[in-house]
Amino acid sequence: MHLEFKFKGQDFLLLPDKAIYWKQEEALLIADLHLGKITHFRKAGIPLPTEPEQKNWANLSKLIHTWEPKQILLLGDLFHSDYNNQWQKFCEITEIYNDTKWILIKGNHDILGKQAYELSNMEICPSSLEMGPFLLTHEPTECPEDMYNLCGHIHPGVRLIGTARQSLRLPIFYFGEKFGILPAFGAFTGLHIIQPEETDEIFIITKNEVMNASALIDSNT
Amino acid sequence: MANKAPDIQPLVAWFKSNDWKPFPFQKKAWTSFLKGYNGIVNAPTGSGKTYSLLLPVLAPFTHEKKTPKGLQLIWITPIRALAKEIKISAERAINGLGLEWTVGIRTGDTELNARQKQITRPPQILITTPESLHIILSSKKSRSILEECHSIVVDEWHELVGSKRGVQTELFISYQRAMKPDLKVWGISATIGNLEEAMDVLLGPDQSRKRILIRSKIKKKITVKTLFPRRIEKYPWAGHLGIRMLEKVVPIIQESNSTLIFTNTRAQCEIWYQKLLDAEPSLAGIMAMHHGSISSEVRAWVEEALYSGKMKAVVCTSSLDLGVDFRPVETIIQIGSPKGVARFIQRAGRSGHQPGATSKIYFVPTHTLEIAESAALRQAIKLNMIEQRIPYIRSWDVLTQYLVTLAVGGGFYETKIYDQVKNTFSYSSMEKEEWQSLLHSLTYGSQSLKAYDEYQRVGITNDGKYLINNRSMAQRHRLSIGTIMSDGMVRVQFQRGRSLGSVEEWFIAQLTPGDAFWFAGQPLEFIRLNGMVAYVKKSKKKTTRIPSYMGGRLSLSTEVSTVLRDKLYEYHEGTVKDIEMKKLVPLFDMQKERSALPNKDDFLMEYFQSTEGYHLVMYPFEGRAVHEGIAALIARRIAREIPISFSIAMNDYGFELLSDQYMDVDSLINQELFSTKNLAEDIQASINAVEMARRRFRDIACISGLIFTGYPGKMKKNRHLQSSAQLLFEVFKDYESDNLLYLQTHEEVMTFQLEEVRMRHALQRIQNQNLKIQKPERPTPLSFPIIVDRLSRDKLTSESIEDRVLKMKIMLEK
Repeated sequence: MHLEFKFKGQDFLLLPDKAIYWKQEEALLIADLHLGKITHFRKAGIPLPTEPEQKNWANLSKLIHTWEPKQILLLGDLFHSDYNNQWQKFCEITEIYNDTKWILIKGNHDILGKQAYELSNMEICPSSLEMGPFLLTHEPTECPEDMYNLCGHIHPGVRLIGTARQSLRLPIFYFGEKFGILPAFGAFTGLHIIQPEETDEIFIITKNEVMNASALIDSNT
Repeated sequence: MANKAPDIQPLVAWFKSNDWKPFPFQKKAWTSFLKGYNGIVNAPTGSGKTYSLLLPVLAPFTHEKKTPKGLQLIWITPIRALAKEIKISAERAINGLGLEWTVGIRTGDTELNARQKQITRPPQILITTPESLHIILSSKKSRSILEECHSIVVDEWHELVGSKRGVQTELFISYQRAMKPDLKVWGISATIGNLEEAMDVLLGPDQSRKRILIRSKIKKKITVKTLFPRRIEKYPWAGHLGIRMLEKVVPIIQESNSTLIFTNTRAQCEIWYQKLLDAEPSLAGIMAMHHGSISSEVRAWVEEALYSGKMKAVVCTSSLDLGVDFRPVETIIQIGSPKGVARFIQRAGRSGHQPGATSKIYFVPTHTLEIAESAALRQAIKLNMIEQRIPYIRSWDVLTQYLVTLAVGGGFYETKIYDQVKNTFSYSSMEKEEWQSLLHSLTYGSQSLKAYDEYQRVGITNDGKYLINNRSMAQRHRLSIGTIMSDGMVRVQFQRGRSLGSVEEWFIAQLTPGDAFWFAGQPLEFIRLNGMVAYVKKSKKKTTRIPSYMGGRLSLSTEVSTVLRDKLYEYHEGTVKDIEMKKLVPLFDMQKERSALPNKDDFLMEYFQSTEGYHLVMYPFEGRAVHEGIAALIARRIAREIPISFSIAMNDYGFELLSDQYMDVDSLINQELFSTKNLAEDIQASINAVEMARRRFRDIACISGLIFTGYPGKMKKNRHLQSSAQLLFEVFKDYESDNLLYLQTHEEVMTFQLEEVRMRHALQRIQNQNLKIQKPERPTPLSFPIIVDRLSRDKLTSESIEDRVLKMKIMLEK
């Protein structure tokens, strides 16, 4: 189940599919898809199963079907590396959902040529996009006082500990004082453990749930 | 004339001219070799084993004096450091017999032009390593060296046989035998529990080849002496460093001309070196350190100094288990339990090289109970209980690497190579389907045929040859040949350029510039990380920060643990006689007073609460590896009954299941828990549950080419090809769990870690005992060292993630 989160006067739905649905803008926010990553490995002779790639497509299609967004805001690292046939597949999807506006804010992995991007009919922002109270970027960025930065890049997660030496590592949505970080959407991506402050808001993603975990941050541990 | 005894007269004569007399085993090896046998020579280091197999290769040429064309003998050694010494021995014999053979060395250290010269003019004898031989196979040009070679000798085979480098050796031999059907293959091995099997591994399953096992009668006498803490009742119950014993160790070093101090880990080695210097500054300059992360130049220097008698003491790890004879070494000190009889004997044997001399080894316990292991080791030596080396079989990672090596080095035809591989010990049980799966994986990137995608690795030519034409892929493969993987190692180097060695990446990652750490025997200041090089300068700061290395926790062998249990039982039987056990009686008394001491008839368990939670501790005394398996099994069987989460710790004596909730142990713990019914499936499920296989996957992923560890300096270009072993493991677990490499991790856990057979025996033993649950009010001497272990814990749960999250906190560092 998703979780409703009012933030900076906006209504967010934090989805267990590791994306945000932004009600006012009717937009899906997605970061770090790393599409084509498996294929990139396979092209180099590393025989990985292709299923995680399929899973990305399935997850993406499901999201679009469920929320029918007017726009999809991609916060960088959309495509993992050099061109491969998965880009074509992505372009087919943007073609199918062409009444949705696709916007890519480029990340460090987005190194495709101009032609490739043109094929996708996306609007391309080289580094940032202002929308509502937010500055959308790939990497965490300083922004004007009256704005708040939303980004990806980090693949954020936290380590939880409990009594009797229990521990868990889970992906999160992170909302700090200056910026918020989305979890990585891609199926074959890792997790980077961050150290939140007690004033931060943290939402943990379990398999099918999003849980507000801000109260669990404990500087006394 | 066919059955005429081979002529070994020239060899005997040469020995005589040196005032030597051949040992019976040497003569036997000479004649057997010349009669066309294959086999194994079982002899300890320093007994003339090299000449037992080197000379018969030369013998047929001693009359004609004509130098044969091409390579005659490949001498495989597991460590590069030995190559030089063997070369000197070989050249001495060649000269002595009036021959004009050349001897070449080819290892990772050999210069490029020397290697190329070996191709144009092959030496008659080539001393090399398993990896270097596979690198030879990876190029069409260098393969030509091998054409004439009709003899292979594998030195220190006992070291290779229980490793994947042993499998590499088997594969190489299978290749060479296909070229030279009458190839002679011999091994030299120290005593291990399964010598006959080791011979079968080396020679392959085809019993039609004449084979012989030659045992030298030379036996070394070993004295084991335990150093006891001054006040045993004050000595810690837990620990692994043993620094408190410094005051007892220093006088022994001082009294001896040259001492080797063996430690079990590199971190322990660094610490002991530092503390010894602090305690005895006069050792500066005449004491050195030797471990696997120190650069090869420094190690070579230390070895040289030891050899020439310039070293008073060297603190080392298993890095000096093998290698050159250090004749000047008089005394051996072992810090902490060596965990195995073979390892202990090997180390003891580093001293007392004179024939008939007794090797003396001092045992330094690092915690109180370890004192008992000294008594157990002495007994095991007396009973000649030597561990087996379990050979790796069906290592798909090594086979994948080999097939790519062949594809890169000019290509291969399927049926021909299949027959060769199938005729090795390691792959004799390989099914045709498994072979097909591997080939499919290489050519199509999937074990089963699927739709074409952009996968590229091995291509098939029109006439059916498997081939790699892509130069960069070939280059990448050659760089990654090898089965010993460095786990993301960062080179430590002075700014001026001198390299000190390497440490694991994660250790450097936690340093900030300006931080000091202790490495290679000196305090260093971290300046910056550049690619995979950490730049440092000398530091004046005192520091206690020392790189530790993951893994490397040895487990008590079957042999030692069996004897150790018997030693404990002596307490009840009133037959305690070893000095070690006598000294431990007060500790056993305390254990008995607080709880109970294990005996033959009862299986001891303890259940108690602390601020951490509820501890359930059991004591099978089977070694930590087996305990990891039993613990996971018991945890899983309990968690099937009630939703619960466990944190699992173990040592060589027992294991702990820690949970945050109370359980009614009196009803939950019963003989059913230890049942061997459905054991195989239950073990499999518990391996999955605590993800034991995950840790083994990194090696397999590296060897088979799933992870490219890369060439230093060119990291950037390959960054997009980087992934963690953990991530890969997840992908296979979730999407391709029938993948042979993924299945291999489980097989390896079963065979090498949990030792299923041993686990079954242990459970059967427990089933014949009474289950005895004690509820001590305080931790006992037995439980204490286990429950304080914070590292290397396993986890098993039957609660939902959501329920667990609600009971937790987010960890903040500092």
